[in-house]
Amino acid sequence: MTIIFKNLCEYYRKYKDLYYIFIWKEFSIRYKQTSLGVIWAVLQPLSLMGLFTVIFTYIMPVKISNVPQPVFFYAGLLPWTFFSSSMNYSISSLTNNFDLIRKIYFPREILPVSRIVVAFIDFMIASGIFVVLLAVHRIPLNWSTLYFFPLVGLLVLFTVSFSLIFTIMNVYYRDVQLAINFLLQLWFFMTPVFYSTTQIPAKYKMLVSLNPLCFIIDGMRKSVVEGLLPSWKEFSFMLCYAIVLLIISYRVFKAAERKFADVL
Amino acid sequence: MSSDMPVIIFDDVWKKYSKSSFFHRSLREDLIKVFSFKENAGLVANEFWALKTNSFKIFKGETVGLYGPNGAGKTTILKLIANVTYPNKGTVSVTKSVAPLIAIGAGFHFDLSGKENIYVNGTILGMKIKEIDQKLDSIIKFSGIEEFINMPIKNYSSGMYLRLAFSIAIHSEADIYLFDEILGVGEDKEFQEKCFQKVLELKEKKKTILWASHDLEMLKKFSDRIFFVNKGEITVEDIL
Repeated sequence: MTIIFKNLCEYYRKYKDLYYIFIWKEFSIRYKQTSLGVIWAVLQPLSLMGLFTVIFTYIMPVKISNVPQPVFFYAGLLPWTFFSSSMNYSISSLTNNFDLIRKIYFPREILPVSRIVVAFIDFMIASGIFVVLLAVHRIPLNWSTLYFFPLVGLLVLFTVSFSLIFTIMNVYYRDVQLAINFLLQLWFFMTPVFYSTTQIPAKYKMLVSLNPLCFIIDGMRKSVVEGLLPSWKEFSFMLCYAIVLLIISYRVFKAAERKFADVL
Repeated sequence: MSSDMPVIIFDDVWKKYSKSSFFHRSLREDLIKVFSFKENAGLVANEFWALKTNSFKIFKGETVGLYGPNGAGKTTILKLIANVTYPNKGTVSVTKSVAPLIAIGAGFHFDLSGKENIYVNGTILGMKIKEIDQKLDSIIKFSGIEEFINMPIKNYSSGMYLRLAFSIAIHSEADIYLFDEILGVGEDKEFQEKCFQKVLELKEKKKTILWASHDLEMLKKFSDRIFFVNKGEITVEDIL
């Protein structure tokens, strides 16, 4: 345990400047030529929230839950947007920087991870809008709201793992880059963003719970909007799932890293 | 030649590359490879040895020139030392820090200004942000493009681009410096002269220098030893 800690400190000391510069670079490049700038961070979840609210209130009226529709949708769209944009940004991080990879050594995970951090900055901005939305709908905050933060931690762990896996695959098979939009679309429909987990028939529940986003979104809604505390047992299970997945994906990434320069 | 400990040791290093434009032959083959654990020692279709049976030692303070035709394996040697790629057989051990100046301009982004790119490229070359803060003036001065340093580099001429890139590279601190043809690049005689001065300074500071070039006369002038690289094999010649 102490060895792991020591290695992490060493790693941090050695590469924190490089992380910082990469994050800053990705962030400033992304918004340099745009006129709306960081407003883009909230535009996607907000517009989808508006769209779903219109669809499920006027066009196809459905009562999904007891919470106000916009809050319900936004609570799902907030983590979903972070996940999908992280995947989208990070997946091409190695192939776009092939010139760098072929010429100089540094830990390659810095490339996808710094793009995820940029998506996380967007997520934090969008979370601010969430707070405003809760205030507008007079949803009281209480102790259970704090559960939001461990869930964000879980979300980040899963996002990094999935991103690493897909990023490596994209180095070897560029099909991934073409497939990712389609894949994320499928994933979106399998995730309870515009429906509630209570609407899923019992026999499919097991299948759906394999999708970690399902647990995270459900938990965020329950804790923040409805003021309920989910079971710690389930949370501990998901945490183990996340950690194991992260270790595996990181190991695979480090093993594949040695070949990147020759393959790209 | 210095009698110190060697800083770079190549022990029977073999490196192969594939000629085919696609990396993977098939998904099935790759999956089998993942589970078979041991590296395939022979060559399969379309592969060739970029380096073979190379063993040599380079000592602290030496300047070694790499000479050979295109595709002889010069860059592969530099890449192996820079830890960018790995040998298929044999071992490469490097005991000191490396400034891989084969990567001049690495990570440059065209929308960022010259100054911003100094930070990006500098950290990639292994400098700390604080270190760059201290060296910033010197880097800008050496490049000689003070007026344009806040301009996005997409508007730079190729000469300005090279000047900036080289200036950052030469300011990185390491024990081993790798150069790949860059000293011969460009028509900019004045700047080239400046670069040679800088390389000579490194030499005086007892830094180890490896550089690849097509220009044998120049290599002979500055190097202690020359490695003649041909079809992946090396013959060594001492310069007196």
